[in-house]
Amino acid sequence: MWGRLGAMLIKEFRQLAGDLPILFILLWGFSGAVFIAGRAISMDINNYPVAVLDLSRSPESRELIARLREPWFKVVAHLQSDAELTAALDRGRTSLAVVIPPDFARRVRAGEGRFQVISDGTQSQMATLAGGYITQLAGDYSVELLEDQLGPADRLLANLPQVDARPRVEFNPNITSAWFSSLLEMLNMITMISMLLTAAAMVREKEHGTLEQLLVSPLRPAELFAAKVIPTVVVILLLSPLSLFGIVGGVFGTPLRGSVLFFYAVSVLYVVSVASLGIYIAMLARNLAQAMMMLFLILFPMLFLSGATTPPESMAPWMRYATLVSPMRYYIDFGYQVLFKGNGLAYVWHDILGMLVLGGLMFGFSVARFRRLLG
Amino acid sequence: MAEDAPKFAWSRRRRVPRRFDRTAAIVVKETRELLRDPVYLGLSFIIPLVMILLFGFGLSLDVKNLPLVFADHDRSPYSRDYIDGYVNSEYFNLIAIETDPATLERGLRSGQARVIIDIPPDFGRRIASGQPVSVGVTIDGSFPTRAGVINGYVAAVNGLYNQRLLREALGGDGAVLPVQMDLSVWYNPSLESKNTIVPGLLVLILMLFPAILGALLVVREKESGTIFNFYASPVRRGEIILGKLLPYLAVALIDYLLIFLLSLLVFQVRFVGSVLTLSLGALLYSVCTIGIGLLISILTRTQLAAMLVTFLATVTPAFNYSGFITPVGAMDRVGQLIAQFIPATHFMGVVRGSYLKGLGLDFYWPQLAALAAYTAVVYGLCWVFLKKRIG
Repeated sequence: MWGRLGAMLIKEFRQLAGDLPILFILLWGFSGAVFIAGRAISMDINNYPVAVLDLSRSPESRELIARLREPWFKVVAHLQSDAELTAALDRGRTSLAVVIPPDFARRVRAGEGRFQVISDGTQSQMATLAGGYITQLAGDYSVELLEDQLGPADRLLANLPQVDARPRVEFNPNITSAWFSSLLEMLNMITMISMLLTAAAMVREKEHGTLEQLLVSPLRPAELFAAKVIPTVVVILLLSPLSLFGIVGGVFGTPLRGSVLFFYAVSVLYVVSVASLGIYIAMLARNLAQAMMMLFLILFPMLFLSGATTPPESMAPWMRYATLVSPMRYYIDFGYQVLFKGNGLAYVWHDILGMLVLGGLMFGFSVARFRRLLG
Repeated sequence: MAEDAPKFAWSRRRRVPRRFDRTAAIVVKETRELLRDPVYLGLSFIIPLVMILLFGFGLSLDVKNLPLVFADHDRSPYSRDYIDGYVNSEYFNLIAIETDPATLERGLRSGQARVIIDIPPDFGRRIASGQPVSVGVTIDGSFPTRAGVINGYVAAVNGLYNQRLLREALGGDGAVLPVQMDLSVWYNPSLESKNTIVPGLLVLILMLFPAILGALLVVREKESGTIFNFYASPVRRGEIILGKLLPYLAVALIDYLLIFLLSLLVFQVRFVGSVLTLSLGALLYSVCTIGIGLLISILTRTQLAAMLVTFLATVTPAFNYSGFITPVGAMDRVGQLIAQFIPATHFMGVVRGSYLKGLGLDFYWPQLAALAAYTAVVYGLCWVFLKKRIG
């Protein structure tokens, strides 16, 4: 068995090593692509663009504008007229416009100041969050004004019941999105490469007509399988540390709290199971173009059902059940728990079990399909 | 031109070989190849449909039902009142009130709890006597977006509670805060996330799919060797490119129509703009994205390489930098520069404008001009790199 498998493996590795463009692309996928995804900004409110139309021009209005500051807001324009305001929102130069009416200062002193905020709703989630933050800013300003009116702050504070919610963000104190998104891109890349590379290696035999030769050779189905999957595993084991230590840990300084060895051990299991899926698709398809289309049909829902873009708890119930058949859902959960939170087997055994069951099924299906091809 | 070409039988019959004959021949060939593979052709319609339905219905950006645990060390009417503020908001889902530190730690580590709010034992006493008090909020930071949103939600619910306390403390009903805000939302007044996501998906799908279709066009001929037919034939570079573009442009435009109709009929996305502007943008954009695929196809040697490059060059940048989720204005300098280099950013402006803002051609011509310029450069590069010789 080892002789036959060895010979086949040597052929596979030679083919891979001879394809320099692919090697460069894989290298980019695990370095540059991870970097680009990591430095992209998050969905949180950061430097959210605000334009100001200040008709009051008073100390009170300037104080309000001064509060629209980083890290949440960034004043991108001081407007002069309604027409300018409409244009700024239409052109998307700003996502939020603050209008302070001429009598603002007088009315604030009378205890009934009002100002207007116009929000661009085209990015609904961001608009909701920005609205929440600006409400909070206005509230803080009000409280400080009240304190000024009612006496010195320390005396007043002692007499006003207020709840101070002090947030502490565990595992990621400054909510650095790069820690998350770079790691996510690496896990996505592992998934995508495992599938595409293995499927391509299999379809190539079909397209070149060499699959028939392999079928009549003494090579057993399991050996052919192993010969197609092992190079993928090796490539991923060699390249992914580059992104994990070089980009995720190195460039972005993400703390890797857990056992990297444990992570890689389970990653091998995951790569094998996703690669089996790739082989199954390859056997259904007649050519590479078809195989790629079918892979995309599976890959996109998988990336989407991984729980990274939409948290499972916020999904519709049917969607939450659908995620259970996506191996990536378990892998993403496993990856973040182990690498990021430093959790051990006690926390992630069910993820490993899920990957084992799904991987076993996919491997079984592929072998069964292959036997039928032989028979 | 035609004068230099050797006189073949057919050219004598027609006397003037019309320029578009050769292009038409390639169009016929490509169309036949496309129709001969119904699986491939079918999938190029099915996948965009699956994507729009799945993501449109499922990709909710709203972070809701966040699992929340209270560590209530006070257990007074005041603390229960405070907790009610969170229970009554749609954002949180109270899963337990628990004071055992080990259980709390396990909940946060396993992800069963995303946020823990710790209420100190003297909470009720201090509120009753009009003193400030602190509560500890611990948020799971492993998904930063979610953490940021939780932070915002906690601040909002806590702020509401404070305003009520303040109003009560400052004397009954009459007192109001000296600075009040009126919020109005333009373009998407109900802030429905489908109005953000479905038009955004149109941009992403029309980026990815035409590019993938285009990416196989030349490289497939290289791998199978039929590219030599082109090398040996009198067909010109421009004719090859145009002949390959047209059938796939038809596929891309059918995809566009399907998505557009679904967005209106199934998702009922608000549409207040001009169909003409949107369609013109979609036409330019599809030509452009097929061209990006073609360029990759011309520059690579294997189908796998072409596929991987296309995927890496389109998906990640378009998803992160086109303004799909975050406004381009919120990005840093480098991010804004990257955004300008992606055709998706320009088309995103046109799409959002057509669907939600009701702005037309007179407003969006700079974006369309940018797309046209981008397209011209891409096809220029295709023309330069498509060499009609070996090697």
